Amino acid sequence: MRRNKEDLRRTLQSCGTVLALLAIVLAFSAIRPGSFCTLTNFINITRQISLLVVISLGATLVMSVGEFDLSVGEMASLGGVMAAQMAVAGAPLAVCFTLPILASAVVGLVNGWVVARFRALSFITTLGMSTVLSGVVYRLSGGATVFENIPDGFSALGTAKLGRVPLLSVLMAAFVLIFWFVMRHTPAGRKFYAIGGGEEAARIAGIRVKKYKILTFVLCAVMACVTGMLIASRVGSANTTAGDGYFLKSYAAVFIGCTASRRGVPNVLGTLLGAAILGVLANGLTMLQMPSYMQDIMTGAIIVLSVVAQRLGREDGR
Amino acid sequence: MLLEMKHISKDFSGVQALKDVDLGLEAGEVRGLVGENGAGKSTLIKLLTGVYRLREGTVLWDGRAVSLTSPAESQALGIHAIHQDRTLIPTFDGIENAYLGLDYPTRRGKIDWKAMEVRVRSVAESLGLELDLRKTAAELSPPQRTCLEIVRAQMRECRLLILDEPTAALTDREAERLFSVVRTLKEKGTAILYVTHRLDEIFRLTDRVTVLRNGAVVDTVETGSVDRERLIAMMTDSVPVRAASPRRNFGGVLLAARDVASRDGSVLSGELCVRSGEILGLFGLGGSGRTELLECVYGYRPMSAGTVELSGVTQARPTPASSLQNGMALICEDRRGKALIGNLDVRDNILLTSIDRFAIGGVLHRKAEDAAVRTQIDALQIKLAGMGQRIAELSGGNQQKAVFARAMMTSPKVFLCDEPTQAVDVLTRDEIHRLLRQKADEGCGVVFVSSELSELLEVADTVQVMRRGRTVRRWENENLKAQQVLSCCYET
Repeated sequence: MRRNKEDLRRTLQSCGTVLALLAIVLAFSAIRPGSFCTLTNFINITRQISLLVVISLGATLVMSVGEFDLSVGEMASLGGVMAAQMAVAGAPLAVCFTLPILASAVVGLVNGWVVARFRALSFITTLGMSTVLSGVVYRLSGGATVFENIPDGFSALGTAKLGRVPLLSVLMAAFVLIFWFVMRHTPAGRKFYAIGGGEEAARIAGIRVKKYKILTFVLCAVMACVTGMLIASRVGSANTTAGDGYFLKSYAAVFIGCTASRRGVPNVLGTLLGAAILGVLANGLTMLQMPSYMQDIMTGAIIVLSVVAQRLGREDGR
Repeated sequence: MLLEMKHISKDFSGVQALKDVDLGLEAGEVRGLVGENGAGKSTLIKLLTGVYRLREGTVLWDGRAVSLTSPAESQALGIHAIHQDRTLIPTFDGIENAYLGLDYPTRRGKIDWKAMEVRVRSVAESLGLELDLRKTAAELSPPQRTCLEIVRAQMRECRLLILDEPTAALTDREAERLFSVVRTLKEKGTAILYVTHRLDEIFRLTDRVTVLRNGAVVDTVETGSVDRERLIAMMTDSVPVRAASPRRNFGGVLLAARDVASRDGSVLSGELCVRSGEILGLFGLGGSGRTELLECVYGYRPMSAGTVELSGVTQARPTPASSLQNGMALICEDRRGKALIGNLDVRDNILLTSIDRFAIGGVLHRKAEDAAVRTQIDALQIKLAGMGQRIAELSGGNQQKAVFARAMMTSPKVFLCDEPTQAVDVLTRDEIHRLLRQKADEGCGVVFVSSELSELLEVADTVQVMRRGRTVRRWENENLKAQQVLSCCYET
């Protein structure tokens, strides 16, 4: 009897997040049936959340091993500025998009190495790294937005469409699929969760904790960089602070995502769900011509609520 | 009589830790409390200090019945304990540490640091202690820290001071200083309950000594009226150990560890030698370094010296991963912290060491995994609702079986088992014993650590004793008496 109740509670709790998304969609559809509840708008929303999803996937990884990477926002800015500047300088597009990725991998390596090797607090380590990165971005751009003489090809990634579907949405779907597969069906994913669940136990079980932690930091930085380049490609310019807003939102998505899992752990589909909730809210509130500060208030409140929900959902009750 | 405890009993979910214990203490008395691991010493202390709730029995304090329901209440009565794990705040200086939990004196709304210092200094001086009170606790040496804790206890009315293994981390010279403090306190009329494994200290310091065995008081005697041998005899079970049928024909050496020292100094010179077909029982009192030796050999705890050979191959720098690879598995003592991951399900916990083994081209093969897990669950008869059940929901015995199931997944040749039967039911305990014997018969080598000497003598072919970080003796388990082994542990 107690078991059944418990199961019901868990099911409700893990479905709760999906229900919340549905409720929001229904609410907006009721208020603005003509403009909100259309296929065009839904396709639009997938494009709007695509960048957030891509950056949040990396954050999901880092959080699955129980760490944080606060430098994702600055990493995104840096990635965009580097790619745009190289494009302006006339480098082949392939180089424009791969060199920043290599650079970001180095940044992730440093983050991960410091955290894993010295058991430093990832919170502080990556906060320091984010400050370093913002300095580097300013050094590169001089504080100005890079927008002149950007070749057309550079913008193709962010603006191209496959039929009615934006390339960005397709890219997002591809990344989600890859990450979901890695987390669900490969040894690496299993090990990430083991480390996040109990680092000491994982180490004794022969899992190379350092290696896998560093790996998550590298992948997280790379995803942030990819996001930054996609932002630059989409808007056709690279701003020194383009990535700033993404940091908090990405963690919000991950935290909301945690509530969608039975164990309250970061997971790929949950993150997608979390990003969707944030995206639909932003889209709908804009349609209702709510001022942007209202969006901020609501996003913030949702983050706090989801953290509370995640703690409540933890099965040890603590 | 300052303290009188009568008919004290305590159980932990069915396991009796204390059975009808009586204990009386006079003011100004130094009382020794001795007993094997698990005899109930810690439980008794925790009841006195209000950490555990007392449900059965009465406590009289100055002849008045009192209920000790919280540490604050105990302290208000004047009962203070100094534990092995120190309770000072490392970044606070001596004065602030002494004032922890007390109201700070204030002057015009500001903390009166001067008054605090004067007060603490006078307490320290009255005990004849020289302490640099301006140093933070982290900067003090271990005995100075113990002294600071005693000062702290004296800040309030302290009528009963409990010292729990106070010299475990001290050198002889440092211990000497502590002893003189104990004598000063005694002269001031404080009662002292002195808990230790070091019998020479009992003889040097105490007036009377109480012996616990299996949660019951064996006797309380004048310290002068007994000798070491008699005391040890009182501590050991007189119940004859079930005759073991130890094997004598062993195969080649599977694991040989020599001169192992850990970087943190908990192991100074540890040896292990396990042959094929052998169950090596490793015994030692709390703090002797048994657990730490196993962790060093396994590669979990950093070593500063020593060699580890597995099947004749020297392991240059063992890591948990390499040990598993080379056929050695560790069953940890700390089941919840180090062996299991509570928020994972049974299946994932059992698969933890063999995640890579079931991947084909980098993709997990669920069917093969499930089949392998199912085989182990059936073989060990783990009772569960389903493989997807969270490990934390299983009973202690079934959790431990899951830990063994995980070890079996990598088919190790050497099992390092640290307290594998701790907090498991009697049935599972027998099953684990049988399992280990079966593995030994199949040609594996087993290191078996248990705090329970009788269990060790029942299971092991060879018995080895560790004392203060060193391996000191090794016997064939033939006509070996518990008293012999214990006596070796208590040697100084």
